[in-house]
Amino acid sequence: MELGKDSTLATGLRKVTSVKGISSSKHWSMKENLIEKLLLAFTLLSSILIFFIIFFVISRGFPVLQASGIHFLTTGGWDKQFTTAWLAGAKQNVATFGALPLISGTFYTTLGALLVAVPFGLGCAIFLTEMCPAWLRKPLESAVRLLAAIPSVIYGLIGLIVIVPFIARNFISNEMALKMIKICALDGTSLLAGIIVLSMMIGPVFITLSSDALMAVPRRYKEASIALGVSHWRTITRVMLPVARKGIMTGAILATGRAIGEAIALSMVAGSVANLPSPAHGLVFFLEPVRTLASTIVDNAEGMGVVSCESALFACGSLLLLSSVMLSVLARLVSSRVSREVR
Amino acid sequence: MANINRNLTGHAACWFSGVLTLTICLSIIVFLIIKGANVISWQFLTENPQPSLQEALSGGILIPIIGTILLVGLGTLFAFPWALATAIYLSEYGGDNQWVNSLRAGIDVLAGVPTIVFAIFGLAIFTHPGLSYFSTMVEGVANAKAFGRSFLVSAFTMAMMVLPFVTKSMEEAIRAVPQTYKEAAYAIGISKWRTIYKVVLPAATTGIITGIILGVGRIAGDTAIVWLCLGGSMSMTGPQPWWIPQNWLDTMQNTGSTLTSYVYYSSPAGEGNSPNKAFGAGLVLIIIILALNSLVDYLGKFTRVKEG
Repeated sequence: MELGKDSTLATGLRKVTSVKGISSSKHWSMKENLIEKLLLAFTLLSSILIFFIIFFVISRGFPVLQASGIHFLTTGGWDKQFTTAWLAGAKQNVATFGALPLISGTFYTTLGALLVAVPFGLGCAIFLTEMCPAWLRKPLESAVRLLAAIPSVIYGLIGLIVIVPFIARNFISNEMALKMIKICALDGTSLLAGIIVLSMMIGPVFITLSSDALMAVPRRYKEASIALGVSHWRTITRVMLPVARKGIMTGAILATGRAIGEAIALSMVAGSVANLPSPAHGLVFFLEPVRTLASTIVDNAEGMGVVSCESALFACGSLLLLSSVMLSVLARLVSSRVSREVR
Repeated sequence: MANINRNLTGHAACWFSGVLTLTICLSIIVFLIIKGANVISWQFLTENPQPSLQEALSGGILIPIIGTILLVGLGTLFAFPWALATAIYLSEYGGDNQWVNSLRAGIDVLAGVPTIVFAIFGLAIFTHPGLSYFSTMVEGVANAKAFGRSFLVSAFTMAMMVLPFVTKSMEEAIRAVPQTYKEAAYAIGISKWRTIYKVVLPAATTGIITGIILGVGRIAGDTAIVWLCLGGSMSMTGPQPWWIPQNWLDTMQNTGSTLTSYVYYSSPAGEGNSPNKAFGAGLVLIIIILALNSLVDYLGKFTRVKEG
């Protein structure tokens, strides 16, 4: 190991005794201090960034949030309002917007995807950690990880080429489309397609995290249970799942965050119409097009530059940001140590 | 009897979901390979995209590949020093007190922010005229305004997006360096920073590289930021020819195309409707990301062996 030219054993020994680097050499301690301050500055920058983003996004969205008030959350008509605001351009000050269709679109797609991905994902995680034949385990694991790494735009592409035409061919009849024509066009891009694509995207994330959690259950817990004559299945449900509960819940929360924030894939397959699907329509509900908050920002990005449109997009951004912050806090509450790494 | 039934149902359900997942994974992968491999040829990889509605005439993906490489390079350039400095502070100087943990919490929350929020944030910040150096000025409008879309802007936004992930990975790597290494260095009289610089960082190199590669994978695969902050053009919009050194800076200040925006543009959702080309570009992108992932795996194994 190379020693610094100006370092002597004496200063070194003094350094050991004084941890924070108070050394005899003035020049040294100044340099050390400077470096520490510099590193601290970078660190502060990284942790203040989130506050700056929250402040900036909400302050940009504030005009629309203020003008619309509670109606932003409870009324619809986004597409029309957006076009009006866009055409009015700079003449109009701030328009009111109603984002209810977007919020419910986000809610339905996320909830649907969770209802599909969490049970299947948990089953798959149990299969992966407990039942899988040894030769199958490695390939299955790498396949799941590969799926987690595929960019969202490619899921969107697959959805648009495979799933959307499939839905259009098999579930949508001409009469149905005619009946709905006053409300929305049924062309296969739908809530259902959004849910399918989204659950394919968040499934791998959830499987990876929950199988990690199951894998981390100490072996002796399982052995003790088996030794008592408890069946394998009962051991899984009564011993392993409760122990791994925290990790599994964290996985579900992270998957929810990813589902809420997904923009590109959903703007491709879910229809890109700010339509409020109504459960009153029966099963057609699932075939109606929806648009989420995140995909609205992508679809209406050309509105950036027109003050009220931009503010409306930032209002959507504020809702997304608030929900993501809340999920992060929730994840922290659920487990003190959150592993955010999903490779 | 009821117990046995429940056991059977449980096992069957787990087997079913496992096999279903495997089937879906395999079919997606096989589907992408078959669809993509039909299109990929030397010509496809080395021709520029052409604006054409006819799929046969729409050219190749050379510009998007270069765009992805450029964006990844710039993004890493911004993210690497920032993340490394943060990781060093958090692991070596910070300690484990309330104050440092609140700094960590801020970075953790950043990890959950959707990329689309970063995208509008970046776009709006960089339209500020004071930051016009990152992109170009908009000509002919009353209020001075920057365009806010360029390689530099997207790279910086990407850097903010990957920062928490890269920092976390690097911090873990630095923490994993045995305490004895540091003690040995202190004992022979080396200052704290010099110890970090000469002993800790070299020992943590593989972990740090792993962090960078994770960031690279995320940058290469992100679409939302590219679509908003780089736009959907299919060519380099800076002065031509863009590859001569005098124009490099201008190229970076202007917009271009990456593989992800090419896939979006060429999909039926975009303007250039040529889905086969989109699958080709998608397969190239997946191969790049797959290669990066295996590199991470390889480095991970290498570190474990060295430590063990």
